[in-house]
Amino acid sequence: MSLQLIPPDINVDFVGKRYFFVALSTVINIAAIFLLLFVGLNYGVDFAGGSVVQIKFDKLTSGDQIRRALGALELGEITVQDFGAKSENQFLVRFEKVKNIGSLGTRIEGALNENYGSSNQAHVLRVETVGAKVGHDLRVDGFLAVAVATLFMGVYIAWQFAGVSWSFGAGAVIALIHDVLVVSGGLVLSRFEFDLTTLAALLTVIGYSVHDTIIVSDRIREDAAKRRREPLESIMNRAINETLSRTILTSGTALTVLAALLALGGPILRPAAFTLFIGIITGTYSSIYIAAPVVLFWERGHRIKGTAARAA
Amino acid sequence: MSVEIATGRGIYRLSAAAPLERNADTVVLTLAMERADGIERIVTRCRIARVLLDEPAEADAMIERLKAWLAREFETTREAALKAIRSERRLNEIAFDPANRGPF
Repeated sequence: MSLQLIPPDINVDFVGKRYFFVALSTVINIAAIFLLLFVGLNYGVDFAGGSVVQIKFDKLTSGDQIRRALGALELGEITVQDFGAKSENQFLVRFEKVKNIGSLGTRIEGALNENYGSSNQAHVLRVETVGAKVGHDLRVDGFLAVAVATLFMGVYIAWQFAGVSWSFGAGAVIALIHDVLVVSGGLVLSRFEFDLTTLAALLTVIGYSVHDTIIVSDRIREDAAKRRREPLESIMNRAINETLSRTILTSGTALTVLAALLALGGPILRPAAFTLFIGIITGTYSSIYIAAPVVLFWERGHRIKGTAARAA
Repeated sequence: MSVEIATGRGIYRLSAAAPLERNADTVVLTLAMERADGIERIVTRCRIARVLLDEPAEADAMIERLKAWLAREFETTREAALKAIRSERRLNEIAFDPANRGPF
């Protein structure tokens, strides 16, 4: 006997609950826009510019002590954070505007070792610097990459489904904007660092979400051709229910892997894993509760090719 | 002492970041690669079999031997070192022994 998580005859009224979920998503998206505008993303050194220095100590120390020890170098505003497990005694020190970056690693190591003495030696493992101009350019390029990817995905779906209705493209674009906003809002709240890896994860979310939207839309197209007299609302519900098993299994397996990455992947991969985790949940949700209702609202009172004259 | 190498990413200075670790069969050099303008510094470890070294092994002489090899293998060495430091929070270790002599 095969294991069946979703019964084949499942019939959940997804579309009937669209008003509630569209209202909920609108509230979440408005909140995300407010968070982005008034709190902002925690940009990493790639986008904010500045320097990041990874330091390992032989013994336990504190962020305050490091800050005090580096004060003499007059490197401007610095932030110190633990990196990895406490027992590893590793820290990331960030400088927003370093006045003199020449031999930064050597100077930091010297200042720390002078302050701590031979009992607790500091070792600078890594120094990375991104200029403010490069950081700004990367930020603009990153924003453009997300915007262009979203737009072109919508255009592609609109073109693919032009034979049925242009509204599928609009639905996909709105669902993608929803996903990007929800994930960005989650990143603002979590204070995870937004760097080039996180941006790559955000672009992956766009790819995943549109893939999920295509699966549902394609089934709607197929069912619309087979059931010409059925109202669009009913066809959509049927299509979503028919693809539900695939949707849950695909998202579920991806989420399992991402949960492991989130828990065990370490501090560098955690922001990207978090972005993908939230993105896959919201991408799956938006295919059902955002993309499909947009088509339904768009087609209200109109006939999409191959279906009954009136959408519910 | 520091030695300079020209790479696709600019001039990098090589220096010993810690005293040599002398074990029974190997000597470990902790090597810092710092870009000349100071915007990047990466540390990696080189474990070299004693049979490949002229005793007594000195850090400066080992860096001098590594210079040409590192200039050639810079990108892969840098990537591996960065990956280990960022993701695994440890120093990458390159092993040179009779089977993989590198520049020794």
